[in-house]
Amino acid sequence: MHTIRQYNRPIATLMSVVMLLFTLAAAPASASVVGTGELLTQQRADIDREDLTRMLARDDVKQALSDMGVSEQEVRDRIQSLTPSELASFKQQLADAPTGEGVVGIIVLFLVIFIITDMLCATDIFPFINCIR
Amino acid sequence: MPSADVSRAAPAGAALAFLLIALLSGCATTAYWPDTAQIDQAPVHQLDNVPFYPQEKYQCGPASLAMMLNTQGAGVTPDDLVGQVYLPERHGSLQVEMVAAARQHGMLVYPLQPRLADILQEIDAGHPVLVLQNLRFGWWPQWHFAVVIGYDTQADEMILHSGTEKAYHEPLTAFMATWDRADNWARVMLPPRELPATAQPLDYLVSANDLETTGQLDAARQAYRTALATWSDQPAALLGLGNIAYRQENWDEAASQYRRLTTEFPRISAGWNNLGEALAKKGCGEAASRAHDCARRLKPERYDEGADAAVEGTSPADCPVVDCPIQ
Repeated sequence: MHTIRQYNRPIATLMSVVMLLFTLAAAPASASVVGTGELLTQQRADIDREDLTRMLARDDVKQALSDMGVSEQEVRDRIQSLTPSELASFKQQLADAPTGEGVVGIIVLFLVIFIITDMLCATDIFPFINCIR
Repeated sequence: MPSADVSRAAPAGAALAFLLIALLSGCATTAYWPDTAQIDQAPVHQLDNVPFYPQEKYQCGPASLAMMLNTQGAGVTPDDLVGQVYLPERHGSLQVEMVAAARQHGMLVYPLQPRLADILQEIDAGHPVLVLQNLRFGWWPQWHFAVVIGYDTQADEMILHSGTEKAYHEPLTAFMATWDRADNWARVMLPPRELPATAQPLDYLVSANDLETTGQLDAARQAYRTALATWSDQPAALLGLGNIAYRQENWDEAASQYRRLTTEFPRISAGWNNLGEALAKKGCGEAASRAHDCARRLKPERYDEGADAAVEGTSPADCPVVDCPIQ
């Protein structure tokens, strides 16, 4: 069974397509009832958001952000507009990081990447940022 | 210049020493028991109620799954499971299939955090743990499923039903190395009335929701009840119970679960919206539209104006009075 891993990606792609089709097909049947999964995703995102906001209180994070000229309030607003999947990917990066000083780097890098890519209009996460182009 | 020979030999010697150290340290990463491990007078913790099935060629998947399921009295044989989880051309089983097959037998599959301490905690609670190991290297993997049934803190060993070995004693260091190379994949499979020892509310509810979405409605209902009895602060358990009743077109039951949700968690808009849906199905037009209004007040961007189904005829006598606490 040594080759199973190499099929992860194609299977994941296939599954996302299948799930998308199922979602599309199932949606009209009871579009009006909110599914349990939707509430769970929301609650998870709320918890992740709180965790991230709590990290802003760390002095080293505050210092790093202010060195870059980003105000704490701006970052707070940005955290509010992160989607559940963005929050989850951040949490994953944090979990993979070795403990210690690296953590501040990840927090700051994550926030700044989202802000900068947005300013370059590579993504459209924060509608209040004006594009450079 | 007698010293020339020495200085020429030194770099070669240093290089050899460095190579040896590098090679040796590669296999000498020692693993330790977590602080939480119960290192007491009885160092051996072993479950004796986990049946063992020696695997056929390549079929560690069906064999391990049968051990997991039959610990809970599922009464299956590895052969029964081959069709569900074994891919002949791949000589193996996929994790996702193992998990799906367990759900088809009404089990709740709970993913453990990637920590040794959590495996030990489940063993202490009497729950065998299904693990994935990579017996070779990251670049040339040999995947293997096994069932952890115990551990020995004195001999530094994990005890597993693995392959053709019953209660195989594996050195902790070897177990950790092979388990780390498989991303620390570990699952418990339990009847939904039982709680994993390491269960966290949201993770457990996600597992329960997996049962709901795969159509195992009785098992899902039981799992939501277990969650509700354990954590009183989880609205998703009540929403799940309501949604299962709604899916089974049991409008009274659905409405009463949603009612409880809106009473205990009035700020969760999903509760009000779904209450509106259930009441509309019951024929309670006015109460339904009040509930829908309440959901819109809480979260205007999520619920469309005027999307409520029109309710015909007169309302039955048992329609509740819906009061929205949000102005």
